[in-house]
Amino acid sequence: MSTEPRLLRSRMLPFVLLLLTGCVSPPEPPENLLAPSEEQMRLRNMQTRTFDVSDRDQAIRAVIAALQDLGFIIERANEPLGLVTAARFAEPRWVDVVGVTVTVRPQGAGQMMIRANAIFNNEPITDAQVYQNFFATLERSLFVGRN
Amino acid sequence: MKRQGRRVGAVAVSSIGLLLAACSTPTNPAQLFQLSSDSAARRASETRRFETPDEAELLSASAAVLQDLGFQVTESVRELGFLRAAKERSARERGQEIWRSVIFTISTLGLVTGSNTLILVPVDLHQQINASLVTRRADTDAYEVRILFYRVVWQTDGISGDQAIPPGQQRLERIQDPVLYQQFFARLSKAVFLEAHKI
Amino acid sequence: MGTLRARLGVLMLGLLASACSSPYMGRHETQWNSLSQLWSAEQSQVKVRNAQSRVFDSSDRRRTLEAVVATFQDLGFQVEVLDEALGIVSGKKFTGMELPDTGFDPTYVLYDPEGLVVLSKAYRTWGPFWHRSDLVRLTVTVRTRNDKQLVVRASAQFHLQPVENPEPYQQFFRTLEQAMFTERMGVNR
Repeated sequence: MSTEPRLLRSRMLPFVLLLLTGCVSPPEPPENLLAPSEEQMRLRNMQTRTFDVSDRDQAIRAVIAALQDLGFIIERANEPLGLVTAARFAEPRWVDVVGVTVTVRPQGAGQMMIRANAIFNNEPITDAQVYQNFFATLERSLFVGRN
Repeated sequence: MKRQGRRVGAVAVSSIGLLLAACSTPTNPAQLFQLSSDSAARRASETRRFETPDEAELLSASAAVLQDLGFQVTESVRELGFLRAAKERSARERGQEIWRSVIFTISTLGLVTGSNTLILVPVDLHQQINASLVTRRADTDAYEVRILFYRVVWQTDGISGDQAIPPGQQRLERIQDPVLYQQFFARLSKAVFLEAHKI
Repeated sequence: MGTLRARLGVLMLGLLASACSSPYMGRHETQWNSLSQLWSAEQSQVKVRNAQSRVFDSSDRRRTLEAVVATFQDLGFQVEVLDEALGIVSGKKFTGMELPDTGFDPTYVLYDPEGLVVLSKAYRTWGPFWHRSDLVRLTVTVRTRNDKQLVVRASAQFHLQPVENPEPYQQFFRTLEQAMFTERMGVNR
């Protein structure tokens, strides 16, 4: 009589443990969760360009004007940090979303480093053409017809 | 009455169009970062020039005009001349609901055969109208004010046969009505006692 | 005969169901053209504009703005936009009118009104207003009228409609006047 429950427990225990581990353990975060990948390092060169502009304020405003010309909606603009966030729904498919975060940072004397992170449907854009087009538009906005 | 009929028709066409568009070729992001042919025209309708060196006054007056139009200011960055305001309103339209009942009624006929053919089309329910305004120096004594009106529309839930369509489908629309832009600049012009020049 | 009645019944149900699929939907006013909401209703504007504005015999913008912020705090509003040079104070709050008396409603809490619209991750977002209709937004602007006077204008939005009764604004200015009085007396808050 006293041995029966013990037998039962020892038989049931592995199944119970299996059930518990199946339901309870959360996934382990991978070690490189917060480390930049190779691809991201390559992207950084594509995303960055230096312009001969000495006034950071002017540069940020030129970024805003360029984005507006491209049909983007400015969502956030932060002057102390030189940050502009903009997005738009990508026509013709309304389900696509394009977002871009641009930072303007002074680099040396009379130069600004502008970096644009473009995101298409939650994935960073890796096509170099996209960044070339953006910087071409930005250059127009910086230097054409404005002081 | 004719306008309502046209709207109902437009809803039908656009819903079919949306269905087709979802299956069409995917977007090319590179195109989105290039100036399109209508960029210049859009800029002209959204921008006006004011002969004043006082940017803060322009921004402050713009906020007052937006307040007058029923907007609530949601973001203000004076150093960059950026202002954003929002207005949440109902987006329910009678035309869409009529269309929805018609389709639902027609779809119930299919029940006769025993299969579930109910279709309840999601309709527009809620909209958030936004105004995004930026001032930029045009000359030593002049500033340009550029404003963009756009809205986001959320839809209700729906049914498609056995499948329930969850609520919250959203779409973004740029507001094209030129009268709205003209009205805004007319009011702004009055508020700062300056003439609004077209660029 | 029986099937005809059944079909008619389904038809009626269908019409009813499609007209108003939920009480939440019913709380939204309907119109022929949703873009008509772009314009503020001119008639009600005239009625309420007087109540929305108040002239103060003071040229101290900063003190006035401080009093406005203090009023926001007194009324339980979260200040989100504060610009001294432009004279803008804007914020929002939930009145808690829809909190269930008993139990816990997770959808009430999950509501996120400031989810940046275009950066929502899912194609079909949860729908920001699906469950809550007790959001109040308030914007106050302070502008110089002349050398000695300022104009303070408050405009509020409750859920999906602009607040167009004068009474709420009268109450707001009463609180604001108290705050300005306290500011003038230099009492520490």
